[in-house]
Amino acid sequence: MNLNIALIYFISFVFLSPVYAREIKIIETSDVAIEVRVFAAQGDKLLLGFPCDEGRSLAEEKTAASLAEDGIEVWMPDMLSAFMLPNTRSSRAEIPTTSLMAIINAALETGKQVYLIASGPDTALLLRAASEWEAKHKKLLAGAVLLFPRLFKSEPVPGIIPEYVDVVGKTKLPLMLLEGERTPNRWGIKSLTSQLEQSGSHVNSRLIPSVRGYFFKRDDPSRSEEVVTSQLAGLIKVSLFYLEQM
Amino acid sequence: MNVRSLILAIIFLSLSGISYASNLKPYTGKGPTPALHLEDLQGQIHDLQDYKGQVVLVQFWATYCGPCRKEMPSMNKLIKKMGDVPFKILAVDMGETKLEVSHFVDEVKPEFTILMDSTGQAISSWNVFAAPSNFIIDPQGRIRYTLFGGVEWDSAEMVMKLKALAGH
Repeated sequence: MNLNIALIYFISFVFLSPVYAREIKIIETSDVAIEVRVFAAQGDKLLLGFPCDEGRSLAEEKTAASLAEDGIEVWMPDMLSAFMLPNTRSSRAEIPTTSLMAIINAALETGKQVYLIASGPDTALLLRAASEWEAKHKKLLAGAVLLFPRLFKSEPVPGIIPEYVDVVGKTKLPLMLLEGERTPNRWGIKSLTSQLEQSGSHVNSRLIPSVRGYFFKRDDPSRSEEVVTSQLAGLIKVSLFYLEQM
Repeated sequence: MNVRSLILAIIFLSLSGISYASNLKPYTGKGPTPALHLEDLQGQIHDLQDYKGQVVLVQFWATYCGPCRKEMPSMNKLIKKMGDVPFKILAVDMGETKLEVSHFVDEVKPEFTILMDSTGQAISSWNVFAAPSNFIIDPQGRIRYTLFGGVEWDSAEMVMKLKALAGH
């Protein structure tokens, strides 16, 4: 490879990679140092997401940058990489609660209202963090957004009401639950909402029209899913508005 | 039979058992079979009660469900393999529009009855939380087996099991 070709590769890499306004913050916990992508903003709200994606969530980054432009600060700690865990559902259970607490503590120290957000099986991690925080601290979180939560304890059996993972129904945090209209999971919203309310949470659930679950992570998005992904920041802002009213 | 053949036979039987176990599961729910009273794509009402005396596969599915799409050709083949055994498939679409389902029907050409649960009433009363969710109803109208997920419906084991349930 000659120098010119190498230079073209370098320029392509630099200019074609999506880069959003963010900084990397390192939070030291008793276990490890956790890398947090921070999309700083001047407003009084901070959205703390547990993407657990080893830094590969481009749609989330774009959304985070858009939220930050509108004054909502976004933190995205990469919990899996910090503990060198593979991106599997069972890995979430291996993330120590102490580390989750350290990140929430750091977020609250900014003086902003802290909201949590997670999608799919990461919502179990969110609920664990929320319930453990409530059990041990007086300063409260403001609410949480659950994007297409996947919280069954095991594979659903037709005809039987499913069991949910143990952290369901343990937090009093106001919860906003968003589910795709084009997924069978939409039919479980009523049952899940009722379980989440067991601990006194106010739960508001909404269907997102014409999208499947995990719509912003799909390789084969429909036109509707592309549109909703591009509007994800707006959807989250509306969710925070609902949480404020609860 | 020599020792090697015996071992092979045991392995074969064990694997057959796993195949059964991983497919149809005995129904463990309580109470009577929920009502199923829904319109088909032509607007005709179907009531599960009217199918007594037949084995019925009630499947809850949706056009956006990948495994549902994949297994439907094998459901067509199952109907043929069941021959003159009294057997019926009622495939309940989970809350989509007739237009969405009609496009799918034109493409996949299911040879069984598609029912429309536009309000989700049956989905709720049958405790369906995922797709495809399958219920096998015996000739007396009782749920005998359930199955979650896609499967090759025309496998020899499945045909044998369904025929046995019908008393054939």
